[in-house]
Amino acid sequence: MSPTSITTRHNAHVDVNPLRTGIALALLLSAAFAVMTVGGLSYRREMLIAAARAFVQLIVVALVIAWIFTHPQGAFLYLGIMLIVAAYTSNRRIGGDNRDRMGVLLAIFLGAAATTTIVAVTGALEFSAQTLLPFAAQMIGGAMTTASLAGVRLRDDVHDQLTTFEGYVALGATYQQAGREFAKRASEKSLFPTLDQTKSAGLVTLPGAFVGMLLGGASPLAAAQVQLLVLIGLLLVQAITALVTTRLISPLPPDLGRSIAVTEAVA
Amino acid sequence: MNDVFVLDHVSVSYGTTTALRDVSMTIPRGGITSLIGPSGCGKSTLLRTLNRLNDLVAGARLEGTVTFDGADIHSPDTDLVDLRRRVGMVFQKPNPFPKSVYDNVAYGPRLHGSPIDLDGLVERSLVRAGLWDEVTDDLTKPATPLSGGQQQRLVIARCLAVEPEVILMDEPTASLDPVATATIEELTRELSAIYTIVLVTHDLRQAARISDRTAFFAAHAHDDDTRHGELVEYGPTAEIFDSPADERTREYVTGGRD
Ligand SMILES: Nc1ncnc2c1ncn2[C@@H]1O[C@H](COP(=O)(O)OP(=O)(O)OP(=O)(O)O)[C@@H](O)[C@H]1O
Ligand SMILES: [Mg+2]
Repeated sequence: MSPTSITTRHNAHVDVNPLRTGIALALLLSAAFAVMTVGGLSYRREMLIAAARAFVQLIVVALVIAWIFTHPQGAFLYLGIMLIVAAYTSNRRIGGDNRDRMGVLLAIFLGAAATTTIVAVTGALEFSAQTLLPFAAQMIGGAMTTASLAGVRLRDDVHDQLTTFEGYVALGATYQQAGREFAKRASEKSLFPTLDQTKSAGLVTLPGAFVGMLLGGASPLAAAQVQLLVLIGLLLVQAITALVTTRLISPLPPDLGRSIAVTEAVA
Repeated sequence: MNDVFVLDHVSVSYGTTTALRDVSMTIPRGGITSLIGPSGCGKSTLLRTLNRLNDLVAGARLEGTVTFDGADIHSPDTDLVDLRRRVGMVFQKPNPFPKSVYDNVAYGPRLHGSPIDLDGLVERSLVRAGLWDEVTDDLTKPATPLSGGQQQRLVIARCLAVEPEVILMDEPTASLDPVATATIEELTRELSAIYTIVLVTHDLRQAARISDRTAFFAAHAHDDDTRHGELVEYGPTAEIFDSPADERTREYVTGGRD
């Protein structure tokens, strides 16, 4: 596969005019607000806040990434922060404690690192901050979703089948060993959303990277290649992250499975 | 040592509910000790205290001491894995693992380091649980399609395979038909020659038929609508049923009330 097909940013040049973008955004937002008002929908305030947040966040991220493109070492810092935020977010969703968070962090890291390494080593994406940073970021994002799904699933399954879980424990299994019996199923269930997304890619929706590259002026085939790297990369991320998450986090919520509170007998 | 479990002023509560208050009793080695009493009087709670399965209940708290073989099971040095290996449990609703019949029985031995002759151990356990003849040809098939009675015997085999000293049984026949119940009862009786069995049952006749000692628990209601479970009377089964000392026991065992 020739690398020229995806180094589009060198030959495709996209003009975005801040003024025109601003006008369009203002119109889009006012129209959305108007439609919601006419239709009597609530959450208008939430919509405005969401829009404002997206605006600020994307501008900041754009500035940061622009800085990283000229200081490639910064990419590690950026990805590191992203990894930590992802682990926090996912662990909060799972309802885990500090130890669980370490497990989630490792799971996300391993998934994203394995995938990015393969893509970088094969040269499928050029070895530069410009290509690998967004790719790795996308993998971390995917891994975060997977870790949340798999972790929540594991805890739910154990909760729903507590008598089975107790069966393992009553035979002398540690909570972690008993949890392992639920890990496979929980991991599998966490794969469904992306499997569906991958199967329907291009049919039901045009995936993000693909759309972005087309808007950026890349050829459709180049866009398809990058999108495939992302989609297939996410499959690997998920497999790794789901398996590691379900094995490393505690199958029980933090308030359970610690030793029972014992107090002295009152005579 | 002849006493397997010694409970000394044991109270167990779940959050604000006091399930058991101030229970002191000893469970000697061998035979069947049955725990009877109306619903909610804390029988399961007591049983689950003995293998510390209540550790899995949010907000569970215990006062007093419980010793197993002379050692305080709530001491920080307690090896929970060892405790639970030596004190097996059979649940009210059969809970076979979603695995093959063979793997259900082999789970415990594998966990604790596969013995040299796993096949032999699985076979012996199934034979002792009286299930071998019915599953010889289906060892690799899933355990879930077995009947309730077969599942319960499988759970017993699974428990025997780790070679415990005590078997805790929480209403093991509650979800079974009379024929399966009779099979399990007979099996329990046989096992009591080798193992110490603690049996929770709602079925008074079952307790009278097979147990050596019986403990009667009652739920004591308070004015403020709360209640707690307590041990009313404990002694040889014949005594509890024929000449109970406490009026509440007499009422319960003669009323056949549930
Ligand atoms: N997990 C729990 N959380 C909160 N309260 C509980 C829990 N388990 C039991 N209880 C309460 O503790 C008390 C004793 O319950 P327990 O299950 O030990 O009674 P039991 O004698 O086994 O009753 P049954 O015959 O219905 O099985 C009851 O009031 C019950 O509501
Ligand atoms: Mg009970």
